[in-house]
Amino acid sequence: MIRIGSLFFQRSRWLQVGALIAIWWCSEIMVHILKLPIPGGVIGMGLLLALLLSGVLRTTWVRRGANRLLDHMALFFVPAVMALLNHSELLSIIGLKVLLVIAVSTVAVMVGTALVVDFCFHWGDGCSDQKPDAEDPTT
Amino acid sequence: MANALPSLFWPLFWAVITIGLYLLSRAIHQRHSRWWTSPLLLTWSQCCALMLILHTNYQDYILGTHWLLTMLGPATVAFAMPIYEQRRLIRQYWYVLLIGVTVGSIIAFVSTWFLAWVLGLSPDLRLSLMPRSITTPFALEFAKETGGIPELAATCVVITGMLGASFGGTLLRWLPLRSAFSRGALFGMGAHAFGTAKARQVGTIEGSVAGLTMILAGIVGMLVAPFLAWFLR
Repeated sequence: MIRIGSLFFQRSRWLQVGALIAIWWCSEIMVHILKLPIPGGVIGMGLLLALLLSGVLRTTWVRRGANRLLDHMALFFVPAVMALLNHSELLSIIGLKVLLVIAVSTVAVMVGTALVVDFCFHWGDGCSDQKPDAEDPTT
Repeated sequence: MANALPSLFWPLFWAVITIGLYLLSRAIHQRHSRWWTSPLLLTWSQCCALMLILHTNYQDYILGTHWLLTMLGPATVAFAMPIYEQRRLIRQYWYVLLIGVTVGSIIAFVSTWFLAWVLGLSPDLRLSLMPRSITTPFALEFAKETGGIPELAATCVVITGMLGASFGGTLLRWLPLRSAFSRGALFGMGAHAFGTAKARQVGTIEGSVAGLTMILAGIVGMLVAPFLAWFLR
């Protein structure tokens, strides 16, 4: 009976999504009770990571649900983006300036970070004689 | 008009419409991938247009869709899985991520502050712009510590995410990046959660690295906030 139940759980995306929601909910309660400055989602992530690393959970138990949630993250953002409509003052010269600051700065951040990481990644390879993991398809 | 119909109709309407437009936008994006056809941008603009046509305000909209926003919590939890799957790579190159996040954060804070100052934005706005490079929950804490306006900061975070996720794809084509790590870090540092969603489409390693970068950037921001608060006053 338990065999069938666990098999069913492994194949059902929605049950897994439900489990992830449950983990998140518990983390939120913990954060609320302990008054932690870290968001509940991050705590939940740490919790799930710990469970996976310790071997209590196997990835098959959460993979389908996790992929479902992660693939559709853009949808979850839409209401937040709609909040921009609330700030009509942004539809003005100030708004354009803000947009410019963000656009230029973001490009600078992305270019700078990417180049530094790329450099360090390969500098590490050059310094040590370790070959990167077989998982990495870029070398 | 909204009062004449049962109060459950409009929230349900917007929920269904948002999800429907999202699925439509994804289909369009899969056919034509330009930086301006990102599903987020498309869904947002279509919803905006609809809201204007139907004379809805944000309060009515959010009634039916705030549950979508809360789903971001479980999505963050779900992130443990790609991180776990890439653990060997991460264990090997964790210092690269740390350096990347530090450099990225410095560029973010310095350039934001400088550009805002040069363009003559008000001190309040400048302070609220500062945490734009950190994901929302951390950014709100940051704003509270440094004296920015939390709601404004959240708006700047969203704009950053949208722009970063849209530009990121184009930047990837121009930059000579040899490693998946750097591609992931680009998205995670530049556009946090939005960027991470995009990075996952580029590749599995990119997606995990982006998520980690985003969280590290948030933590770094939290640690730096008290010092910046003192320094910026």
